[in-house]
Amino acid sequence: MIFLTKGDKLLIVIVIILSFSSMGYIKLMALSDAEKYVSVQVNGEEIKRILFDSKLIGTTIPVKTQYGYNLIEIGDEKVRVIEADCPDKIDVKQGYISKIGETIVCLPNKMVIEIKGLDNDTEIDIINR
Amino acid sequence: MKKLNKMIFISILVSIGLALSVLESAIPLPIAMPGARLGLSNMVVLVTLIVFGFKDGIRVSVLKSTVLMLITGSISSFIYSLSGAILSSIMMYIAFRFFSRVFSLIGVSIIGALSHNFAQVSVASAMMNNLRIYTYLPFLMLMSLFTGYFVGLTSIYIVKNLKRNFRTLFER
Repeated sequence: MIFLTKGDKLLIVIVIILSFSSMGYIKLMALSDAEKYVSVQVNGEEIKRILFDSKLIGTTIPVKTQYGYNLIEIGDEKVRVIEADCPDKIDVKQGYISKIGETIVCLPNKMVIEIKGLDNDTEIDIINR
Repeated sequence: MKKLNKMIFISILVSIGLALSVLESAIPLPIAMPGARLGLSNMVVLVTLIVFGFKDGIRVSVLKSTVLMLITGSISSFIYSLSGAILSSIMMYIAFRFFSRVFSLIGVSIIGALSHNFAQVSVASAMMNNLRIYTYLPFLMLMSLFTGYFVGLTSIYIVKNLKRNFRTLFER
């Protein structure tokens, strides 16, 4: 490298280390606070709102309404239906959902489980021109 | 140097900076990164800081961003570029004046690019009321290493030739 003094090289190395370590830190932070929740809707109305929590892993939540019965299990940042009284049991077969926007639908029981973001559901936060 | 000479020289420098700013928007970057620029006009500010001193450096950088706003018509980018220009001029001058034994012009220009990015991201996060914009800073910092290196390298040659060709002008 031409014209680089020792101070320059030190500066470059420090900046590279700093930016890569903060990138890693940001990635870690972003993984740990994925702000999403489970929204359980029956007949179009939200009846339950469950925030993901490490204490909740493995808990089951029964949803019993006039339309039918489903048993929801909360996992590690994911959710599934383990029991249902509907005939086809498509919701049970679907397994876990974990990403914002994913849904489990049980049509006979008029139940929808959706994962939603806490702040906003859209991909774009702000547009700056 | 006479006052008029200096004024004319500074206005020429401002217009060179403007031309470079307009020109660099036509050069595509290999990576798609909003906010990342080549910072070619930073070259002019750096040269002014070194040849004319702090006051004129700030003058050139503020004039440059103001007139660039009139050219592009974008107010928000004017606020970003103005804050970046002021902070980077101050930081570059400090680095050049007091640490020129440690850093060459390349180091000074990298410091300028880093502080430019920092000011921009800070202003953006204040304007959008969202601290998470700072997560973008590490990527911009990596980019500014490359742009700062080349801007510094170019400035070394410019200053060398400028001083040789205009020796009578700069003997103060």
